[in-house]
Formats: sequence, C-alpha cells, structure tokens
Amino acid sequence: MTSALISAIKRLHISVVPQIRVFSSNAVSVSSLDQNTLSITKKDWAFKPQYTKPREVWIENIDTIEEQKLGLFELHPLVYAASPRIDIIHQNVIWQKKIRFVSWAHTKTRAEVRGGGRKPWPQKGLGRARHGSIRSPLFRGGGVAHGPRSGKTHFFMLPFHLRLNGLTTTLSAKLAQDDLHIVKDLILPTDNPEYLNDLIEKRNWGPSVLLVDDTDYAPRNITVATDSIPHVNIIPVYGLNVFSMLKHDTLVLTQAAAERIEERLLKWLNADTRRQQQAYKLNQV
Amino acid sequence: MTAGVRHNVSFETNNIVLIALVAILYSLFKMATVLRSQCAFARLFAGKTVQILNNSTDLGAKLGPGSQSVLSRKYSNYAHSPFVTKIKEQYDYEIVKKPAEWAFVERLLPFETIPAVSPKESYPSGWIPPKEEAANLPYFIARTKNHEVPIYLEITYRGMRKITKIRKIEGDIWLLNDEIKSYLKEKNNRYVETRVHEIGRFIETKGDYVHDLMQWAYSKGF
Repeated sequence: MTSALISAIKRLHISVVPQIRVFSSNAVSVSSLDQNTLSITKKDWAFKPQYTKPREVWIENIDTIEEQKLGLFELHPLVYAASPRIDIIHQNVIWQKKIRFVSWAHTKTRAEVRGGGRKPWPQKGLGRARHGSIRSPLFRGGGVAHGPRSGKTHFFMLPFHLRLNGLTTTLSAKLAQDDLHIVKDLILPTDNPEYLNDLIEKRNWGPSVLLVDDTDYAPRNITVATDSIPHVNIIPVYGLNVFSMLKHDTLVLTQAAAERIEERLLKWLNADTRRQQQAYKLNQV
Repeated sequence: MTAGVRHNVSFETNNIVLIALVAILYSLFKMATVLRSQCAFARLFAGKTVQILNNSTDLGAKLGPGSQSVLSRKYSNYAHSPFVTKIKEQYDYEIVKKPAEWAFVERLLPFETIPAVSPKESYPSGWIPPKEEAANLPYFIARTKNHEVPIYLEITYRGMRKITKIRKIEGDIWLLNDEIKSYLKEKNNRYVETRVHEIGRFIETKGDYVHDLMQWAYSKGF
C-alpha cells in the first residue's frame, strides 16, 4: 500500500519536472531580474546519472546584499544526492580528530618513581607481607602499573572509499537541508566585514559560513572582509573536508568549485582505486 | 658561503687556500656559471681544466667532448671537493608536444577511470548489458563502476549462514523488496526472509539466491 503510494508520488514527480523549470524561471522574474540573463545549464557528464535525476540548484550572486538568482545549475546525483549515511560522516569526523591527536598523558612506573631501592623490611620473621620496594604499584605513592605513557599517537587511516563517501554524503546532506549554496564567484563590492555580515543575515545563512573556491587565491575584498569575522572562512577545493562542513552551518561553493568537486569525486568513484586502498593498509606482506 | 652538495671529483692542485678563494669567487659569480666557465681567469686559480660528471661544468672547464672525463674521481677530503655547479645540459634535443607516436604511449598507460562499455551485438564473456527501459521502473539497481550487477553472496559462520545482498538500489526500495519476495517465493515454493536497509540502500535475502536474483535483475533490464 505504502509502496504503491510512494511510486504514485514518484511518477507524479517525474511528470512535473519540466513544469518546475517554468515556475522557477517565473520566480526569477519576480525577483527583479531580466529573464534573458538567466542561464540554465544542462550538463553532459562523462559518467551519466543512471536513474536518480540530477539535482538542480540556483546560482546566486554575492555582489549585492539582496539575493539575485543568476541561473540554474545541475549537480550530479552520485555526489550531491547520495544517501545520508550518518555512520560514515561520524567515522570521518572521528578520523579527522584522531589522525593528528597525540596523547601526552603520562605516569611513572615503579622504576621511575624516586627511591624504593631498598627492601623495606626483612622477608621473614616480622609477620608482615613480603615486599621488595616501597614504590611497587601496591604501595601508596608507588609507581603505576600499565598507566598511560606519553607520546601515544592515535593515527590511523580511514579506508579510501569511506573518505570518498564521507564527502559525498556530507555534501548531499548539506544540499538536502538547504545549507549548500552555489554562488557565481566571490567578488564583493567592498571589503567591509559589515557587508558580509548583513548579507549572511539577509540570506538567512547560518552564522558560520564556509566559502569554498576553486583557486588558492581569493579576491582581495572577500579575504579582507572574512579576516575579521572568525566564523566565516574560505578554503580551496582541495581543503574540503567533512569536519569543516559540519562545523560551519552553511556551505557556500562557487560554481567552479562545485564543478571541480563533482569532477574529482566522480573520477574517483569510477576509477580503479586498488592502489589508493593499499596505502596505510596493515599486515602488508 | 653558499652551502651545497659536493662532487666526488678532485682538483689536482692541493693548495687549500687557492681552492677556498676560487670557491668564494665562484659562489659570488654563481649566477653566471655558464659564461664564466669558459673564461680563462678562474683557470688561473684552479690551475687545471676540470670537467665534472653529470653533464655539469665546473669553473674553468672547457666545453666539448674532448675534455669530458668519464671516471669518477675520489678526493682525499670531502671538504675540498668542489660544489656541484649549475648543470648545463649538453645533449641536443627538441621538445615536441603531442607527436603522432604519442598514441602508442597512451595505449600503454593505465586507465584514469574505468572505461565505458562499447556496444556490441553479443558479448562472448556472457556479460549482459543493461537495458534503457529499466530507468522507467519505480526502482532501480545501478551497475557498479565495473559494469556488473551488484548482487553478492555473503558467507559467514563457516558456511552456515548465506546471505544474498543486493546493493546500490535507487528509487522505491520497499516495492523492490515486495517484488523480490513474491518472485523468490514463486520460484522456490517457500517463504524467503529479506531485510531492507533503507539508508544503506541494500536488501539482504536469507539464503543463497544469487542466481535467481541475477535472472530477475536481467529480466528487468538492470
């Protein structure tokens, strides 16, 4: 019964898709933008989506505080519409925390505690328990048996495909929750941080925003503006990671960055990754 | 002074002072190595033309095949061995971008990604291509990146438990589950237990039904 209903809804949805496009272009004309400037991009991927429809997103601008929609854009469902695997996201976060964590907790063993070289009392004849050192773990003030020793690394490597799926599932979750926005570029009219604050407030983006660009060098205005706002950060595409995406409320990708992420992840999802999986594998013969 | 890697080649003069002086002069004029190497003034200090291995020229060295020494020479002292100079390539070559022969090199390179299947009339391996009309169904089983149907047998507990797993399900997974259940029941005349993982997008079937499910998937065009 339920499945029949779902399939009915699904069929309904498919038939509606072209109409949605018409509606959306109408919506743009409402937001005082010339209809001719709206670019609708249909993409032709090397690895075409087999079944799930591509996700359509608006391309926004950030050179005005008021939001303008500059175009429609398609994102590959394998990257931006993956299943929300919270377990994989969690594994990635744990990995990112642990990979660089070194525990400096330290205790002294019985050999390192000062003193205790002399036998405290004779072995026999006193009616007391036999002991060889007052720094044995049984004694108060003695050494610690099996205590933490400092410089313990927690490094481990998450399997390659879990890292890959961590990125896709987080991107998909962000998009599904309307926390992922695509902007045309990162060019601001001013380097005033207030402008960026107002823009984030107006667009109802989360207080913390992660901006991702395709290049290492962001335009000057946005670097100056974000410099004094600690919760708005810019990273290049190769710095994209699960932890940062979760840490920030809103993820803002430039169009080039979104395409680059898609291209890279699609490549690895369709590549022979035996060599990548081999690295950091334990028990290699 | 500029620190640098030293070569295992010797000057024949043992005059430490002279060599140090030359080294200082040399480091000063390091940028113009190629020019200076053909000048005569440094040769006065070094006293001898020296050709360093690895295609590089030392100060006072004469360019040309005649002066090239092939043997590596051992210095009595590491500190007195000359610095490695800027290597001047002495072979003649030209850089050609994308020559016609490059196609043969590309043929040997490993694939970046797993290539798409070229359509044929029949496949001798027995591989069955997916059909177009499968995309019209309310559910879908995507092919893997190796173009295989993702139906697997998982054997655990020393062969005591056999689970058939269908992965990469898209669309209405519960409808797919119902259809699989009725199909397996009809085919095997017994109830077959299944388990649906909606988030993981897979269905597990209790028992070894890989062959049956493969037949079913091919019949649907997946």
